[in-house]
Order: sequence, then C-alpha cells, then structure tokens
Amino acid sequence: MNFLSKITPRIVAKSPWLYRINAGSCNGCDVELATTACIPRYDVERLGCQYCGSPKHADIVLITGPLTARVKDKMLRLYDEIPDPKVTVAVGVCPISGGVFRESYAIEGPIDRYLPVDVNVPGCPPRPQAIIEGIAQAIAIWRARIGEAA
Amino acid sequence: MMAFLKILLDNLRKGPATEAFPFGEAPTPPAYRGKVAFDADTCTGCKMCEHVCAGGAIRFAEDDDGLHFLIWHNTCISCGLCEYYCPTKAITLTNNWHLAHPQSEKYTQIDHGTVAQCRCTECGTAFLPAIPALMDLAYRGQNDRTKALAGMCPDCRRRATLSGARS
Repeated sequence: MNFLSKITPRIVAKSPWLYRINAGSCNGCDVELATTACIPRYDVERLGCQYCGSPKHADIVLITGPLTARVKDKMLRLYDEIPDPKVTVAVGVCPISGGVFRESYAIEGPIDRYLPVDVNVPGCPPRPQAIIEGIAQAIAIWRARIGEAA
Repeated sequence: MMAFLKILLDNLRKGPATEAFPFGEAPTPPAYRGKVAFDADTCTGCKMCEHVCAGGAIRFAEDDDGLHFLIWHNTCISCGLCEYYCPTKAITLTNNWHLAHPQSEKYTQIDHGTVAQCRCTECGTAFLPAIPALMDLAYRGQNDRTKALAGMCPDCRRRATLSGARS
C-alpha cells in the first residue's frame, strides 16, 4: 500500500483524464472539444490525456455553457462526484462571464460563483488549438497539485 | 490497387497530419477573428461598437479627460460586428487567439483606450477631435480650409462653414 501511494502520483501526473460537463452549452464548444480528441490534426491525446465517460475517473474537468437555471443542481452534483484533486477549465465565454447570455433570467452563471475555476479559455467557440493551450496549462496545474497531494 | 499505392506514397511524403502545437506554431489564417484591437487615434467616438456589441464587451465612459474605451475579452464573442460598423476602422479583430489564461487573470483581460479631448481654436470649448479619417469621409479629401475647420468645436465649425458660404 505504501509503495502504491508512492508510485501512483508519478503515474497519474503523466496521464490526466479529461471529463466534459455541458452546463447548458449551445454545443459549439462541445463540438470543438470533440474535435481536439477525434481529429488527428489536433490530437489532444499527445499530451497524455484522454476523455473518459465517468466523473469518478476524471482529473481535469472541462465545463462549457453558461450554467442555466435548470441544469445548475445536476451540474453541481456531477462536479462533486469528481474526486479531488481536480483541475477545472472553463471553455468558451459562457462559463467565464455568461457571454451573450449574460444577465439573462435563465442563467445562474458565471460558474466561478459556485466552484473553483483554474483555467479560462475564452472564445465563441475557442478554436481547437486554443483549447489545447488551455488543457496544457491545466496539466501544469494538475502536476503541481498531484505533487502537493503526494 | 494503384490508386491506393499513390495515396500511401503521398502520405509517406507529406509526413504526419497532426499540428505541432503546443510544441510548435499553429497555422492561423490572416483573416481569423481573434482578439479585438483598438486604436484611439482613429476613433471618432460614435460608440457604434458599444451599441452593436453582442456580448456587451465594449463600454464607453466620458469625463473631462475625454472618451474612455474599455473591452473585456472574456465576454467578447469575436463576431466582428464592431469592426464591420466602425466608420474609420479604429476597432479591428486581430488573428491573435492565445487567450487561455489562469483564473487569477480573469478580470485583467481588458484593453483600454482614451480619445483625448482638445480645445476649440475659436472659443476654447473642450470637444472630441474630428480625426482626419472622419474629415476625409465628410469633405471627400482635405484642404487648408477643412484642416482649419477640424480644429473647431461643432458650433464654431457650423458658424465658420456658413460664413464661408456667404463671403
């Protein structure tokens, strides 16, 4: 057990898993996120990360959308299921500031009112390279955080 | 069969399709709509960009120093309406897309610009200057007379234009 707890931080520092939460996004940013993983031209998996289907496996969480009133509770519940330590990336202007939906009655965001955000990637949507740039910054934070936890 | 071999050879010649970014430069089209740039020297202060801004990213404030322009890049959706409607193209979209930043810099992602007020050569009233680009649009080219008119406040300019027509 002791050996495992020593070796695990070294391994996970190299391969953070990505998880995507759509907090009422128009799907534009989600398409760009799919692009970073599925199109060989961008290929985010070169950085050692991989998209996973379960919040319980996630290390870096990418949030899109302005956090609509209907999705807020579900989204926060999902966020709590992601084990600590985790790194949060806000993708697109919507989660950062509300974007074009700012000050709408249907919007509860920006998301940093409810959860700690680490990296912001503005754009409507940000281009795949900009998302990769944000994920690279998130990986640097992730490695520092794993080092602290170990 | 031969077509397949040709594709294989082409792919071997071209190398990997993956872009080197973030380990190298990413190709960016010159017309890519990225970060907004503002040039206070050519701004006429019409505030059309603030009016058309879809994300409400542009704010103007006016005081004794002049007209203050402010843009928060974190709510700009790079739609390009400001550039399209700007009569003098003082506001343009650059192809800079390197906007990812840590949360600590969220509220510093802003750009300022100040259009300074100047004094009327006739009556000394403070007013926002009529920039050369605007005078070109209004008078279809400039001469000594339009240059003298540009230094006057709107009231004096109107008076001077009318007296010029009479004499």
